[in-house]
Amino acid sequence: MKTLNIVGKSLRRADALEKATGTATFSTDLNLPGMLYAKTLRSPHAHARIIEIDTTEAEKLLGVKAVATWKNTPRLLFNTSATMTFTLPNQEPVLDQYIFDNVVRYVGDEVAAVAAISERVAEAALKLIKVEYELLPAVFDPLEAMEESAPDIHPCHAGKNIPGEIIKIPMGDVEKGFAESDIIYENRFTLPIQKHVQLETQAAVAQVSPDGNITVWSTTQTPHPSRIILAAAFGVSQSKVRVLNPPYIGGGFGVRIGLSAKAEPIAVTLAKLTGKPVKVVYSREEDFIASDTRHAGYVWVKLGAKRDGTFQAIELKGVLNGGAYCSFSCETPGVMGAMGLSVYRIPNVSYYGHSVYTNITPAGAMRGFGNPQGMFAIEQAVDEIAAQLGLDPLELRKQNIIRVGDPWILPYSCRSTGLEECISKAAEELNWQRRGTMNEPGSKILRGIGIGVGTHVSNSWPFCVDYDNAYITVLQDGSIMVATGVPEMGTGTITTLPQLAAETIGIPLDQVGITFGDTLTTPFDIGSHASRTLYAAGTAVVAAANDVRRQILEYAGDLLKTAPEHLEFANGLIKKQGLRDSECVGSGVCQLNEVQNFITMKDLAYHAHLRNKQFIGIGRTTPPNAPPWHAHVTEVEVDTETGMVTVIKVAAAHDVGKAINPLIVEGQIEGGVLMGVGYSISEEIKRDAKGKPLHTSIHKYLLPTAADAPEIKAIIVETNDPTGPFGAKGVGECGMVPTPAAIANAVYDATGIRFTELPLTPERVLKKLQEKNKNII
Amino acid sequence: MNLTTLQFVLNGEETAIVVDTSDMLVDVLRERMLLTGTKKGCGKGECGACTVIMNGAAVNSCMIPALKAMGSVVETIEGIGTLEKLHPLQESFMDEGAIQCGFCTPGMIMSAKALLDSQPHPDGKQIREAIAGNICRCTGYVKIKKAILSASEKLKG
Amino acid sequence: MFQGYYLPQSVKEALDILANHKGQASIIGGGTDIVLDIQEGKKKCAAFIDVSQIPELQAIEEVDGYLRLGAAVTHAQANRSALVQKTAPILAEACSKVGSLQIRNIATLVGNVVNGQPAADAAVALAALGAKALIEDGKGQREAMVEELYADVGKSLIDPTKEIVTALLVPVQKKGQGSAFIRLDQRKALALPMLNVAVVVQLDEKGECFEWVRIIMAPVGPGPVRSLKGEGLLAGAATSREAIFQAANAAVTEANPRSSALRGSREYRLDVLPILVKRALEVAVTRAKKTDGREG
Ligand SMILES: Cc1cc2nc3c(=O)[nH]c(=O)nc-3n(C[C@H](O)[C@H](O)[C@H](O)COP(=O)(O)OP(=O)(O)OC[C@H]3O[C@@H](n4cnc5c(N)ncnc54)[C@H](O)[C@@H]3O)c2cc1C
Ligand code: FES
Ligand code: FES
Repeated sequence: MKTLNIVGKSLRRADALEKATGTATFSTDLNLPGMLYAKTLRSPHAHARIIEIDTTEAEKLLGVKAVATWKNTPRLLFNTSATMTFTLPNQEPVLDQYIFDNVVRYVGDEVAAVAAISERVAEAALKLIKVEYELLPAVFDPLEAMEESAPDIHPCHAGKNIPGEIIKIPMGDVEKGFAESDIIYENRFTLPIQKHVQLETQAAVAQVSPDGNITVWSTTQTPHPSRIILAAAFGVSQSKVRVLNPPYIGGGFGVRIGLSAKAEPIAVTLAKLTGKPVKVVYSREEDFIASDTRHAGYVWVKLGAKRDGTFQAIELKGVLNGGAYCSFSCETPGVMGAMGLSVYRIPNVSYYGHSVYTNITPAGAMRGFGNPQGMFAIEQAVDEIAAQLGLDPLELRKQNIIRVGDPWILPYSCRSTGLEECISKAAEELNWQRRGTMNEPGSKILRGIGIGVGTHVSNSWPFCVDYDNAYITVLQDGSIMVATGVPEMGTGTITTLPQLAAETIGIPLDQVGITFGDTLTTPFDIGSHASRTLYAAGTAVVAAANDVRRQILEYAGDLLKTAPEHLEFANGLIKKQGLRDSECVGSGVCQLNEVQNFITMKDLAYHAHLRNKQFIGIGRTTPPNAPPWHAHVTEVEVDTETGMVTVIKVAAAHDVGKAINPLIVEGQIEGGVLMGVGYSISEEIKRDAKGKPLHTSIHKYLLPTAADAPEIKAIIVETNDPTGPFGAKGVGECGMVPTPAAIANAVYDATGIRFTELPLTPERVLKKLQEKNKNII
Repeated sequence: MNLTTLQFVLNGEETAIVVDTSDMLVDVLRERMLLTGTKKGCGKGECGACTVIMNGAAVNSCMIPALKAMGSVVETIEGIGTLEKLHPLQESFMDEGAIQCGFCTPGMIMSAKALLDSQPHPDGKQIREAIAGNICRCTGYVKIKKAILSASEKLKG
Repeated sequence: MFQGYYLPQSVKEALDILANHKGQASIIGGGTDIVLDIQEGKKKCAAFIDVSQIPELQAIEEVDGYLRLGAAVTHAQANRSALVQKTAPILAEACSKVGSLQIRNIATLVGNVVNGQPAADAAVALAALGAKALIEDGKGQREAMVEELYADVGKSLIDPTKEIVTALLVPVQKKGQGSAFIRLDQRKALALPMLNVAVVVQLDEKGECFEWVRIIMAPVGPGPVRSLKGEGLLAGAATSREAIFQAANAAVTEANPRSSALRGSREYRLDVLPILVKRALEVAVTRAKKTDGREG
């Protein structure tokens, strides 16, 4: 194999200097001449009809420039999530949102917005808007929302309050599989609402030119799909809309796949009404109550195995709480089922799942996208089977995991798996043999170790439309510009994509520039989500780079009078095969038409330019898909007198195919793991009886701080997937996926208690410990 | 509205700026002086993105009435290094991979700087304590802690 | 929002400004409570009188058997102070639990008390230590025990539109004393406690019996709550596990916690409270046996 010079190296991030010096620009930093500030009035009720809305007093307030309500804004249905733009052709996208409506469906739903000369004036104006509501019955639990007596939140065809379609995934015959099983474990698991808490809240600045061209700077993870949504919501042609990142985004984790909640449409509405640029920045509280969350809900699992541990059948069912608007509620249950059933080699599988509308904040995409919820159930079922059969949970997993080429329910094949190696390495890191011997009898503080494994996607096909484009333009000095429509939201895109381009073409990394996250300067790309950016957008960049390389070698071949296949091209130098670099001195371009042995990229590009030629490479790719694999082994401590669970260490071994930039890969894993730890032990949004969310600030919502973070050891396993750029697969979401199960299994190991509900708060844990003690006495 | 002149030393420069009495320091820095390196992630003292150093101590600039800074010495991310000579923390954050989305970074670096200014060779516990008020949702803090340690090594020379 | 912001240089000047504003102005220390209260419309005031830069309120010193903390002293200063660590170790410890370092660098101990939250960390430790507040208004000075300053949850008997707390007086730790502060929290920073328990024990010369004990629990009432029954049971008792166990169980009968959707139900709090009291007493006894009154 070709030696790699740039790919596989932990190079410094391209955006590091700007970010370390405070000069990196984010949406919230923008300041345009004449810019106005917007604030939004939100519903205090979980479900109500607006009978009357009076904005006259607000409009009169000095400094107020416009007030928008459902009465003076477009009535074109859309969906803030990108599902609107990439639902597959055999299904209908669910469009259930207006910018403002005359019905509000959750506490926090948009009622009106004000543009004023300052945020303070806008806030004061909100207090002057008079709204009369007619309260409607509300429902918060998905199972209750499916009952006949529940209020209809939106018209649905698949079932009461069920958006889109019910997802059914069958393979084999589960009835037969369970009949043939010697042992069956079955249980229901309950998952809480988790919030992204990306550090930069939802934000957008919109400007509308006199001739109606709309420019929106925003925090979106998907500029191109966002353009499609905005064009539809405002009834203008896509060519009149430009969406761009400014250029950085303060984190995403799925919360802005599509629009940044309603930041963009509200900013555009008010920019149109005032003729001025308008800035919308969500307060942290708004971000909590009025931008998508992870799906809470219920997961049922039934797993059957032979006495020797061979899995025979699995049945998985999911009912997720979709909240008041659809967002990604059609796709999330699909990913949950498809991923959950693709980890183990089981001949008979069945999945049934859907979301349900309720009167709470909409649930949408969040790192893992249904998969952590499903794996929380499945991986605990696997441990139960191991416990009941007296088998080592590690060995039981190794015995049953999917291998290359195995049949599975997915329409692409498993061409690589390093899961067995991941299991071994993670277990070794935590010294798995200690399991079962870690506690003194009678000890009040117990330790335990647990494992969880999983897989995920490397892009969103077959769940969504999924394709990429990239251009590479060779400039006249031989440096190149990569143009890609994906954003830089922290995941390292603008470092790793240039690494791919430089390596593929054969030029130094410092010769690569990149334009990204802007619909004006980049070709269409479906965006950053589904752990896809490096894998899928990277495939397009590699294709464009190969195109450029081919053109250059052809041109050089003519120039050096050598067939292209007999040329070498690396580090910016094109030379005849076998020639040593030290022999390539001088300009390389012969003035007297005598044949040379080599030419630098710089000279070649200029040579071409003087002869009316520029090299432009195009990559247009539809990625297949590839499974990343991961095993997490965790150690926990449980204080049996208070119920407090502390995660001590997480070893996270990930098969990422190929780590293009190992430092960045580790960062993705570590961040995902900690988010998973929070989900497992402390993060949740609860509501009061009227549906008002209670966890509305970082102070109340307990995501881990640096003082809470356990030791996290990221372990990279490489299997070189044949479909990925240089063998790479997805990684961005994977740290989340097996973490909750690994922690719950460790708590089980410590206490002997199976916890079926997250998070493992001290109160929840103590209650079960007390029940167990009662039963013993 | 009630206007007053705030006088303070900002990043080493005597500074005077007219502020509204009820302005918060973060808004004066970001909106009035266009020093947007200091970020605002919550406005309520919960995230640390707005951390600046005031009279040697890390504080949340969103919790500080601007006039509380009267007569004080304030440092922001813009003032701790130059492109020619970055602060060792800026170098180590870049080298160790401690930066992802970068939104927490300025506040994180300011908290770390306040720590190293008073305690050039902190242990792990002191580092955790110093940055526990700086939420980072991207990194899991692993590489941030490492970067602070490695900057302190550099300071040892 | 507030219209005026004063930075007086003496207590007298501050009192004069208070008087001039006739109840419309309020004292501000670090501002970490009151600024949010004003922004969220929970409190109203026309002007702030910032006492954090008054020279006479800055000192941490030992005076006549008391640790004297000026009203401008922050949690970070108290936590770092060698004098506080030596003479009132659980105060130093409690101060390290508040919010985050950024908050502690600016938030004052007096603000922690006057804000009136029952489980405020420094206030709980101060109450256990038997600390007093020195209060001044235009007419003169008075003293009050910290635990007696609570009218209701979030309501102090101190009126910061009329009077100023100038200092806190904490009896210094003596020979044979030990103390402990235990905080049950779901996050190690930036989180209010589910429960706080602080105890101080005085052992007899042999170190075998309790002479007296102070037990403070929170949030289980309008302010930090003393367990008089638990204290009574222990006074004169041997430092045995049984005595501690009984006192811990008695203490719970004096606690009346509320159910909080964020920080634990009443039932949960009642379940774990005796465990925390027991643990705190055990730690305090161990420490008491080691102290000569000067080292924590
Ligand atoms: C993110 C965050 C986390 C927090 N976490 C914690 C925590 O973990 N534990 C905890 O206990 N608290 C916590 N707090 C609350 C707060 O920081 C503390 O209560 C702090 O001690 C208040 O002190 P301050 O100086 O900032 O008070 P201020 O806000 O200045 O004042 C509070 C009250 O005291 C009055 N006051 C202040 N000084 C005087 C004086 N000298 N004389 C008379 N009246 C006076 C004021 O008028 C006001 O009514 C947190 C706050 C935030 C924002
Ligand atoms: S913005 Fe100041 S702490 Fe979050
Ligand atoms: S790098 Fe994104 S929040 Fe820290």
